[in-house]
Amino acid sequence: MKLEELAKRLELEVRTAQRKLDAEVTGGYVSDLLSWVMAKAQAGNVWITIQAHSNIVAVANLISLSGIIVAEGVTPEPATLEKAEQEGIPILTTQLPMYAVAGKMHELGIR
Amino acid sequence: MSSARDAGRQESWMSDAKCKCASRSIESPELENWSACMRELSLHILDILQNSIEAGATLVELTIEEDLDTDRLSITVGDNGRGMSEAQVARILDPFYTTRKTRHVGLGLPLFKVAAERCNGDLTVTSQLGKGTTVRATFQHSHIDRAPLGDVTGTLMSVILANKCDLHYIHRADGKEFEFHTASVKAELGEIPLTHHKVRQWLQGFIAEGEAGVTVTSASLRLQ
Repeated sequence: MKLEELAKRLELEVRTAQRKLDAEVTGGYVSDLLSWVMAKAQAGNVWITIQAHSNIVAVANLISLSGIIVAEGVTPEPATLEKAEQEGIPILTTQLPMYAVAGKMHELGIR
Repeated sequence: MSSARDAGRQESWMSDAKCKCASRSIESPELENWSACMRELSLHILDILQNSIEAGATLVELTIEEDLDTDRLSITVGDNGRGMSEAQVARILDPFYTTRKTRHVGLGLPLFKVAAERCNGDLTVTSQLGKGTTVRATFQHSHIDRAPLGDVTGTLMSVILANKCDLHYIHRADGKEFEFHTASVKAELGEIPLTHHKVRQWLQGFIAEGEAGVTVTSASLRLQ
């Protein structure tokens, strides 16, 4: 599934890098510890987190994630959004809890 | 959450001296603080400062040192409060222990310790009954899991506006330094209280500017 369709189905708000929404989502990963994400998430995964500082963009960039879903109504910092736009990393936000986002992605067949 | 926090934060500068906002409350720490703590070290700092105030300190010294050469960040809070016995010091790092009756579990120090240890650091508490307590947390500055300092200005303003003790603050980073002591500010103000809205406005600007002057390069550059 493309990131764009996922955003539509989960009613996520696209905050950055609109141009990169055609990326294929290869799976999902949930964690707020950046070290674990770096070690475990796979290229093309969508990362679900409540971290909002600009390091999340660096991590996503480094391991080529398809996007970051900042959940639970957390507002990403302006510096994070700016960096994500620059680096072409889609950041999507939602009021949904992380558990619900992961559950819905699973239901949509993203495994 | 964050937008509500930000709104609350702003409102608190406009309302009276007792900051009631969820994220920067000296009066009533809420569980919501803990969810924000892992994203911002300044909330851990607020918690430690609050412990000092509750211990009856009249002077609290907060030192933040960022040494990029040795790749260390240290946060030290020293107070002249009532202090603790050895047994109390041992218990204070136990998450199921608190002297407070309003909250069942005292998570402040244990969580701060976990955050430090996760980043190749440590947290130590030294205390002497009748003399005071010093809490020192260290982190590997560049560790990927180290949360940013966050809104230090907001934390300092909460403590200053609670107006229960003097605050001596030093922030050293990469050869630069920002320092102030509320006792000197008070001496200059004379009769005018620290909580006067004009003073508050000035302080907010003064601290924000001082902090901006010692802020080290954006965290994200560490990876690139």
